[in-house]
Amino acid sequence: MSDPKNPTRAKDGRDKPKESAHRIEGGIDAVVIGAGADGLAAAAYLGKGGLRTVLVGAGPEIGGRIAKREIASGVEGVDGEHLVTALDPDVIAELDLYRHGLEFAARRLDTTYFFEGGDVLRFDGDLAQAALLSLDHDDDREALEIFMSEVLDMAALLRPAFRPFAFPGGGNHQRVLEKAMAGATPEAAARLRRFCLSNADDIIHGRFGDGPLRALLLAETAFRSAAAPNEPFSFLSLLRRYSGEAAGLQGAAAYPKGGAVSVITALRRAAQSAKVDVRAATPVKSILIEGDRVGGVTLADGGQLRAPIIVAAIDAEQAYLTMIGAGMIDIGLERILTARRPEIASARMQIVLKGVAQDDATRRNMMRRLVYAPSPEALAKAFNEARAGRVPQSLVVEAVFPTALDEGAALDKRQVVSVMAHPLPFDAEPDAERREAIRSAILDNIEMFAAGFSGRIEADDLRLAADEAAAAKASPAAYAARPDILRQWALSSAVTGSGDITGFYFCGPEAQIGAGLSCAAGRAAARAALHAYRKGAA
Amino acid sequence: MIFPAEDFFADAPRPTPLYAAVASASEANLWTAVNGWTAARVYSSVSGEYETAKSAAALADLGPLARYAVRGKEAAEFLGRLTTAPALSLQVGESARGLMLNDQGYVIDLAEVSRLSDDLFLLTAPTPHARHIALGRRGLDVVAEDISGQVAALGVFGPQTAGVLAAAGLKSASETLAASGVLRGVETAARPVQFGAMPGVELIFPKEEALTIWERIIRRGAGAPIGLDALEILRLEAGGPRPGLDFTPAGKPGASPRTPEEIGLAHLAPLDRGWFNGRRALRHLAGKPRRRLISLSIDAEQSAPGAAVLQDGKPVGRITSCAWSPVRKRVIAFADVDAASHGNDYEISAAGAPEGRIPAKRLETAESGLARVFAGVQGTSTDFRR
Repeated sequence: MSDPKNPTRAKDGRDKPKESAHRIEGGIDAVVIGAGADGLAAAAYLGKGGLRTVLVGAGPEIGGRIAKREIASGVEGVDGEHLVTALDPDVIAELDLYRHGLEFAARRLDTTYFFEGGDVLRFDGDLAQAALLSLDHDDDREALEIFMSEVLDMAALLRPAFRPFAFPGGGNHQRVLEKAMAGATPEAAARLRRFCLSNADDIIHGRFGDGPLRALLLAETAFRSAAAPNEPFSFLSLLRRYSGEAAGLQGAAAYPKGGAVSVITALRRAAQSAKVDVRAATPVKSILIEGDRVGGVTLADGGQLRAPIIVAAIDAEQAYLTMIGAGMIDIGLERILTARRPEIASARMQIVLKGVAQDDATRRNMMRRLVYAPSPEALAKAFNEARAGRVPQSLVVEAVFPTALDEGAALDKRQVVSVMAHPLPFDAEPDAERREAIRSAILDNIEMFAAGFSGRIEADDLRLAADEAAAAKASPAAYAARPDILRQWALSSAVTGSGDITGFYFCGPEAQIGAGLSCAAGRAAARAALHAYRKGAA
Repeated sequence: MIFPAEDFFADAPRPTPLYAAVASASEANLWTAVNGWTAARVYSSVSGEYETAKSAAALADLGPLARYAVRGKEAAEFLGRLTTAPALSLQVGESARGLMLNDQGYVIDLAEVSRLSDDLFLLTAPTPHARHIALGRRGLDVVAEDISGQVAALGVFGPQTAGVLAAAGLKSASETLAASGVLRGVETAARPVQFGAMPGVELIFPKEEALTIWERIIRRGAGAPIGLDALEILRLEAGGPRPGLDFTPAGKPGASPRTPEEIGLAHLAPLDRGWFNGRRALRHLAGKPRRRLISLSIDAEQSAPGAAVLQDGKPVGRITSCAWSPVRKRVIAFADVDAASHGNDYEISAAGAPEGRIPAKRLETAESGLARVFAGVQGTSTDFRR
């Protein structure tokens, strides 16, 4: 029995080849554009809310930039994210993702930090326990314990402010921040104010006996952010990082079974159980604006989907400038969208290694998150180099071994290491020479803490922001590193303001605050849409 | 086509293309600066110049106004976005007035758009908007070139405008449609403009020919120059608010932003026309004015900007600009009053008058007449967006 609403869909859920394309489809309450994590989450929420929802994705696969891909013969890697650090706990609970198959292969990953001088520090996966690690100075241990409890408290206090809004003209991060401050004790409010206004270097400087701890915290601050730790408001980046939750633990990192792609699978199942009509390979040409409200979308094949609610889970440039059209959005919004010139990006590299670890220490480390933290001076220099368009010598490198963390992914006599490196210069169209320079810089930095590593490489696969954008059919700038949190707040408020078009909601990458797989933007957009829909229906 | 407030602090205004001609015609030698360009306040006498405009044809150097040539396939879309003028529905030769609004729906400036050919428009605004235009044209196939200073612009107002056009050699030019022609081998354009709501024609020619054409018109005795002070009276009679004086454009320092409705120009930004910048925000503001800009006729010999406007003994606003109107034999003024004030009767505080008050009445001008008709039409329309 085929779906009467959608005759091109067979009962097995696969798309039949398109028949006559030019037709107008009605009876739809909401169209979600973009089949990434946020789009799936938004669609699942809308479907759960009782709206007849259609999700259209441009690519042949569901998942956007997070996808499985063969990186070497017989070895599958996962593009996009390699760890879960910020997945919104409300999304997991409300969409029942555990029931839909989300499972963590490794929760509460311990982190081993490597430093320039050859020092090694281990952090417990639970940051509140972080002080239990092996430190030389007893003073530092105490200082770290106090610092971590302060930071975790503040990060939790700020969590609502790190969520995107989607109520046109309603959400305001400043107001949330003020509310958070008003609810705190005077000491906490003063501390929060200092944490928000100071840069990370100032706050961390002098708190610990000079040494690796400072390098470690600054590296965590700078990781995946376009703001260097010595720049204004950069401490917020660390608070944002530590406000995230992974597998129920604040500030932790977890590895899902099967990699980040299994989050997508769970979201897709959640969407399908909410009766969302998921259509891959259905690119949207334009969003129809009638008067001041949305009327539906025009598909690239000429067909039309009519719906009073459109949720765009694609990058803002595509949504506003291409699909809605520059002529239909306010000049100020367009200025915000086109004013950004990204300079910094992260790179992802998946490396297949020959052989297996022989000694226990290495084997234990492979079950952890490994971070190489260059000295603060080297890190500051790296940011300057990357801004100037050169590949820096020193990089923050985060590495995990999916094959060791996830039994299901284990390979015979081979290991896969997944690496995220930062900061690197942003290129919209990187050439082969630039790729090679980035590749060797990352390998050099890994060699700093894993000597002899390069000799064991069987294959490697470098993935830059431009590649991710190409896979998700998005504009590369959307996948560059984000500026400081203050500017992200401004951008997020502007894009989720939806240009004041009734029925249009935005939850693309620009709506999200901070890096990582979150789905908070999709949730916010869908909730705003449901709220408006119910108000309109009542 | 209204001059913005003078900039009193410009130290060295640039000469407009017509400066040499204007300076030789100026007996009073009284100058001011507008947008950083020279502008003559008075040539010989204010009342004489005013009379010329009423009975013959007055020539005004419109060089200080900002002027842009807008070219490209999407020029109409661009202007329809940038201004509230119905650029998309303009036929070749037609002109329309409009407003420039910011994203929040507040007035940045007035604007006038003329379609000279299929993909060539002329945009005139009281003040320059280089940044706003540069931002607004992103994503659209259009080029906007700032031509202020490169062309001479001569405004002609009065019943004998046609004679001036003939003297200038533009016989084909009409008072309702823009036309271009070649005069002594030089590209020249004439287009209808409105000074406030007073119709006129603007002649535009390359600055190299400025003096020749000016001379031709003056020699034939077809018109006499008019300065800013006399134009101010005409403006107040026509009821056109002056940016920077009667309202502060949004985005300027110290601005308390005004919606089109609040400055009495709601008819220039109708919500049922196509989309323009700020329309969606305006939709939420429409029908909820906080202030109103009204024209008053005051029973006095003189009044001054800043004087308090009272109703029922309570202050409701202030005078923003005023002048003696020789036709009405009264002082006419713009007053910014509370939207809650009502009726036609107001009082103006003044020293020396009985009880310190002078009676004032609301004045119907060409502009307020348009606004009233528009409001009437809107009230009974079946606009589905309401």
